[in-house]
Amino acid sequence: MKVFFDRILNVPTSDPDDTRRRRVLNILLLGTFAAAVLGLVGILIAGAVAQVSEADFRVLLFGAVGAILGTAGIYQVNRRYSGRFAALLFLLMLTAVFSVSDSPEQLSNGRSLFIFTIPITVSSLILASQASFLFAIISSAIISGLAMSIGQPINIFAVIGFFMLALVSWLTARSLETALDELRTINANLDRVVVERTEALAASLERERIEAGRNQAILDSIADGVIVFDRRWNATLANPAIRGMLEIPQEMIVGKNFRELIDHPKLASKSRHLLLAMVEHDTQPIGFRVEWAGKTLSVSAAQVYNDRGDNIGTVIVFRDFTREAEVERMKSTFVAMVSHELRTPLNAILGYAEMFKEAIYGPMNEKQVNMADRIIKNTQRLLGLINDLLDQAQMEAGKLTIQMAPVRLSELLDNLHSVMDKTASDKGLKLVSEIQDDLPAIVNGDATRLQQILVNLVNNAVKFTDQGLVLVRLFRSAETRWGIEVTDTGRGIPEAEIPHIFESFRQVEGTTTRVHGGFGLGLSIVKQLVQLMNGEINVHSVVDKGTTFTITLPMVTSTELVRNWRN
Amino acid sequence: MDELALIIEDDEDLANIFAEALRGIGYEVEILPDGRVAQERLRTGTEPFIILLDMHLPHISGGELLTEMKQEKRFEKTTIIITTADARMGEMYRDQVDFVLIKPISFVQLRDLTARLKPKQ
Repeated sequence: MKVFFDRILNVPTSDPDDTRRRRVLNILLLGTFAAAVLGLVGILIAGAVAQVSEADFRVLLFGAVGAILGTAGIYQVNRRYSGRFAALLFLLMLTAVFSVSDSPEQLSNGRSLFIFTIPITVSSLILASQASFLFAIISSAIISGLAMSIGQPINIFAVIGFFMLALVSWLTARSLETALDELRTINANLDRVVVERTEALAASLERERIEAGRNQAILDSIADGVIVFDRRWNATLANPAIRGMLEIPQEMIVGKNFRELIDHPKLASKSRHLLLAMVEHDTQPIGFRVEWAGKTLSVSAAQVYNDRGDNIGTVIVFRDFTREAEVERMKSTFVAMVSHELRTPLNAILGYAEMFKEAIYGPMNEKQVNMADRIIKNTQRLLGLINDLLDQAQMEAGKLTIQMAPVRLSELLDNLHSVMDKTASDKGLKLVSEIQDDLPAIVNGDATRLQQILVNLVNNAVKFTDQGLVLVRLFRSAETRWGIEVTDTGRGIPEAEIPHIFESFRQVEGTTTRVHGGFGLGLSIVKQLVQLMNGEINVHSVVDKGTTFTITLPMVTSTELVRNWRN
Repeated sequence: MDELALIIEDDEDLANIFAEALRGIGYEVEILPDGRVAQERLRTGTEPFIILLDMHLPHISGGELLTEMKQEKRFEKTTIIITTADARMGEMYRDQVDFVLIKPISFVQLRDLTARLKPKQ
């Protein structure tokens, strides 16, 4: 019903004011039309029962039919052509009808005077606010004309009343128009703000889209394989490079759990354990290696945080390390081979020189023996350097491992003496050693590497000490720790140099390398070995008084050792 | 009769040096420069008093030779000394042999050791 009325009453135009006026006019037209139809019916009934005279009946009939046709015509004008013109026609029609609707006396000065107020008030609503004055003038003219035609005085009070009413109507319509105008301005502003906001939002969405697109492009073109996991280790994102590494298509990765992913036939089982350990212990290791689909991959994990600092998952980067791993393997094979190949002829040189010295092929004079001695010393030095380089290379490749086994401490010192006593006594120094009473006779450790540490430290002490002694002491530093202390009475290390003494290829004062020989690898190797044994090394030195190196190592009990072996 | 010493060593110079050290103190020395040759010799010839065994040999490794010798009772009295440049490998076999010498091996060291082992005449 409402829809039906809306369709009849509404005249769609671009001007909301016009729309309003035309709608009001339509309502009035509809009312008039309905009244006219009712009137027509009433007249026809009255005519049928002969209640009215023939002349009256004809006038009323024509009036009703005219009103019906007039309203219909005006409706069409209002709908199709112009609201204002239709309103003017309607009002004029109304006024015309009113001006003949009663006797001139009643119209100019009596009961029907009020009906002229209708076009005056309505005109300001449906035609224009000031139109009320026009209809005040028309209505005044009509009542004045009618009054004069019957010889009566002009009803000046009615005319004034008409104009007062016109004024009030005008003001009312004006204020209504102003209010509507303001409302429209507010609406227009609101519309503008909405448009502006919408545009800003669209622009920022576009920027975000571009940004996301750029990030995606970076991710897509990166050579490393990237998978992003959420807090539950389900893959939420993967880039195309991952396919070449894991031999799993990118789209097959997203949505899978990490544990499902590593349940892959081409993943070496040791590597699977490493990856699983990372998830289970929630650690973020950097650059550990796994063997996957015949490739060596370097894996780095990092936790991802959002703007508020909440952990939202983990990003794992796989880098193809196959070539580098191959180069490393070749390097360490090369170093091992070279050092073996170098050591064998050096051993021969050493042996022959000893044979000279021992006068195997006949007596030698003192100079010849001396020369043989020098050959031996230099060969030994060369062998020491090769060993250092080999150790350094192995440690760099992560290949040097610590092999724990029971070690008799007294044996450790006996061996040290057999190797270093002569070196010390050649310089006029004494090598003294002691084992503290509360130490067990046997500890668990890597005998070869402990020996190497002792020899390196004592060698170093002898090198930098001109007189006095080198003291080696094995002691218990805590309930579960034991230590090695090597003290000399040498020249000491300047404080500024202490932080650098464990660096590779370095000796105090930089240039002394040439004076003392060696690569400066000894202490660096000692420190790395100590670290491999989960130990600590410290140095305390006073210039011109001496230096003490203190190492503490964990004292592994037998049961712990067994457990470690099983793992 | 001098005690027999077998030197299983592929490096000619080292074999010579070891041989000189042992001859000097009265061993009769036989040098075997190859794993296969050594295997033949060990299977057929008389048992030596001492064997110097290099682990890294052509054709057949020192480890294999050692395993074979350990299975035969006739080598029970033979003193086996491993000579190797690889300290790790030396450690691996330490329990199975009498001595492990890590190269570089000093002439004097070897001479003194083998002299101690030689029965007093």
